[in-house]
Amino acid sequence: MTMGIEHDSSRDAGIGTRDSGAAAADARTRRTQMAAALAATRREFALEARQGRGGREVQANYAAQMDAVVQQLVDAARGQAVRTLVVCALGGYGRRTLCLHSDVDLMILFDGSIGREEERFVNAVLQPLWDLQLVVGHQVRELADFDDLDTANTEFLLAVLDARAIAGDAGLFERLRERVAGATTAHRSRAVDALLELIEQRQAQFNGTIYQLEPDIKNAPGGLRDIAGIRYLQTLTADRVEPERSRAVGQLQDAEDFLLRVRGVLHAESGRDANILTHELQERVADAMGCKGDEPRHRVETLMGIYFRHARVIFRELGRAQRAARPPAERPAATRVGRHFEIATDGIRFLDPESAAGRPSLWVEMFRLALADGCPVSEQALDTIEQNLDRHSADDFAGTEAERQQLRNLFYPRPGLYARLSEMHDCGLLNRILPEFAAVHCRVIRDFHHKYTVDEHTLLTIRGLEALWNPTTPNRKRFGALLEELRAPEVLTLSLIFHDIGKAAETDHAQESVRLARPALDRLEVPADARQAIEFLIRNHLVMSQFAFRRDLDDPHVVAQFAHMVGTEELLKMLCLLTLVDVEAVSSSTLTPWKEELLWRLYVETYNQLTLGYGDELVPQDPAGLAVVIAGRPEDISDEELTQFLEGLPRRYLALFGLASIYRHVRLARGIRRDEVHAILENHDDVWELTIVTLDKPYLFSNVAGVLSYFGMDIHRGQAMTTPGGLVLDVFEFSDEQGFLRQNPGATAEITRMLDRVVAGWVDVPALLRGREASLLYRRRQREPARIHFDNEHSQKYTVLEIVADDAPGLLHRMSRVVSEQGCDLDLALIATEGRKAIDVLHVTKAGKKLAEHERNALKHGLERVLEGTDETR
Amino acid sequence: MKLVKAIVRPNKVDEVRDALQKLNVGGMTVTEVRGHGRQKGHTAIYRGKEYDVTLLPKICIDVVVTNNIVEEVIQTIIRSARTGEIGDGRVFVLPVEHSYNIRTGEQDAS
Repeated sequence: MTMGIEHDSSRDAGIGTRDSGAAAADARTRRTQMAAALAATRREFALEARQGRGGREVQANYAAQMDAVVQQLVDAARGQAVRTLVVCALGGYGRRTLCLHSDVDLMILFDGSIGREEERFVNAVLQPLWDLQLVVGHQVRELADFDDLDTANTEFLLAVLDARAIAGDAGLFERLRERVAGATTAHRSRAVDALLELIEQRQAQFNGTIYQLEPDIKNAPGGLRDIAGIRYLQTLTADRVEPERSRAVGQLQDAEDFLLRVRGVLHAESGRDANILTHELQERVADAMGCKGDEPRHRVETLMGIYFRHARVIFRELGRAQRAARPPAERPAATRVGRHFEIATDGIRFLDPESAAGRPSLWVEMFRLALADGCPVSEQALDTIEQNLDRHSADDFAGTEAERQQLRNLFYPRPGLYARLSEMHDCGLLNRILPEFAAVHCRVIRDFHHKYTVDEHTLLTIRGLEALWNPTTPNRKRFGALLEELRAPEVLTLSLIFHDIGKAAETDHAQESVRLARPALDRLEVPADARQAIEFLIRNHLVMSQFAFRRDLDDPHVVAQFAHMVGTEELLKMLCLLTLVDVEAVSSSTLTPWKEELLWRLYVETYNQLTLGYGDELVPQDPAGLAVVIAGRPEDISDEELTQFLEGLPRRYLALFGLASIYRHVRLARGIRRDEVHAILENHDDVWELTIVTLDKPYLFSNVAGVLSYFGMDIHRGQAMTTPGGLVLDVFEFSDEQGFLRQNPGATAEITRMLDRVVAGWVDVPALLRGREASLLYRRRQREPARIHFDNEHSQKYTVLEIVADDAPGLLHRMSRVVSEQGCDLDLALIATEGRKAIDVLHVTKAGKKLAEHERNALKHGLERVLEGTDETR
Repeated sequence: MKLVKAIVRPNKVDEVRDALQKLNVGGMTVTEVRGHGRQKGHTAIYRGKEYDVTLLPKICIDVVVTNNIVEEVIQTIIRSARTGEIGDGRVFVLPVEHSYNIRTGEQDAS
């Protein structure tokens, strides 16, 4: 049995008997006619393609014409081979989607070993194709090669899955199909694994996102290869398409036809096998595809909008096929979660989609649960949300404080956040909740560096942040440590969400982003301090990279300038991380180790400036900051009182505290006298804050820390400042670990009373704590060696003592007591706790001068004994 | 023709580029590099812990120029990249046999 052109026995009989010159002339004529017919088809194809009509039908016609050419060549050469043979089309050609300049992939299969005659046959078929200037991909195989088909050779396996017989023996082709089917059934799991790995590797080359500004419509996620991937997975897993998914199947066909038509334009316009929708070709393709818009730019935006819609369908369907191919093994069919949800193999679902359609708070709750469980949101849920979005406005998601809190918490960076936000974005929910973000939906910004649309760039920054929880390299671990130290990392995520929304306008986009973000921050009722941080980070999101990559980091003035701009360590850490992930999300090659190193160096230099070098500059050296404080002065505070209070405080004070806090401190300092303390003790959520104003005296800081320790408080952060005039302002943040404040109504009064007595000198704090300090908990061994470092360079006035040690109850009290015992004055202190580490920076002097070497050594020795627990014998 | 290869501080690249443009130097290649010369890195301290930064970030600027302006190009780079501190970088000059325009295939005049 043969296919294609019927075997012409009379012509075979004539071979060798007719005049060879005439036969050659006949052959030339046939080839000329064949070339002319193919050229005509290609011209017609190009014409159709330039009109945006080079889709499935035109490509199938071209494939059919190519079939005819191959059949003619096979027919002419078949007498040269002894073995039974079949010639098959592979790949896209096998699927009858042959584009103008695509490779013509063929497999010539023989039933038996390949001898000299078969080689002559192969040459006789291929040579004329090459002469036609076609790019031919060819495989020459014996049927025996398929006896033990290597399913791990994924590329070849997929090629034969697409095989379509063009000419030759149909029976042989049938035997090939049986062997391939047998091999894929026997080694299905291995074949699926290999295919999934191939898909993953290919997508990783494109950072796993469809939102490419210049997409490779064949290879990128959401491209033609993904459609082929879906079909291969369905073939290999015998995945049936459920009737309710017919809509998705129709969308997939539309998407494929769109991509084929675009590809047709690309091939026709470039004259080669071009698959990248470059900026240069986008206008041409938009015109060919009839995209609407008054200006070329608008037509391109329309084109790319359509492209992303189709790519999204493909990407989503591939994801579904991937999950179907490898369902999670351990999960039962469905697990009920609360009253409204269940988690099934395809992700979290609504138990009652109809009821959920009218309750948007359930939608957000669903994403929260998906994040907590590490599962995707199911198509059922995404469809429900997508189809009911128009019924709700942004206010419906933030009507109550509980809803606002839920939304704010949703942005806490954690594994899976990028995937869930992408789902929210794809189904339209993110734009509904944050319509301000919709301004950059699929927004294309043409520049040399950016590879993704603005919205996807934004989401990729969040993916970068998320990845810092589990950093894979030592260089990334240092940035990951900064993320762990943040007090409110969701502030950083929210800043990232809004940092580029101003790109929709063509002005200073950072400033515009701040302006556009404000209504969203109002709606979410973001607390004032977090809001201030978010606005700062958005406004300055380009500044750190400008300093790091363009300025001289060896110049202390440059670092000081940047440090003044940032103001606090917390903002520095957030800006550093924001810069890191922002640069990284520009393209896969933008964040080089070179840039990473410069960024880290600027971070370290600035951190040191903020923590070690801040003591020399006082508030009056920041006239702009001072003017703001004076301008906002309430009536009950005079200029003189304000200026007097501020003049000896470090400049950093203005960066640390908002205006309301500053005025409270001024009032607190009113009428303070020796041996008195004025204190405010209040709580914010789970954290307590003690603010005290008093006049300096020996052991003061140590004693205040000791009082907090005595009542079981765990100090997390603190600031202590002493003016040259002896005014002391200390602010401690701590948690009530043992519940003393929570359980005792009079506890705050008791603590302030104890502070009064301690400052007055009526209580011996070391004696008060003696019993506690003897306990194992207080004297537990350091897990890692503590670091004690003296810096005599950064400050002109102070010796700066940095201590990094495992945190322990009472540690701050005991260490600061050693400072006093050595006759040193503790003028400034920064107290921080990062995880289990206490990080304290103390600015000390002795008799008004920096410490000499022997004094530093003595102090170090005393501190080491405290940290080792050998300072006192009990 | 000569290939002039300059290793400069990252913050100096704009100044060098601007200065070379004033000399009508047609093209240049800029590469992020890391290394050390006499500067041999430095010791940084973060939270009381010292660590060595042995390979410092620098920028490598390559320009190919005709022999008649090579000296002027070298002096321009030195002038615009200099701070006077250790770590200002180096300039290397290498002979170039031929250069071709890939688009046209034409050989440039040497």
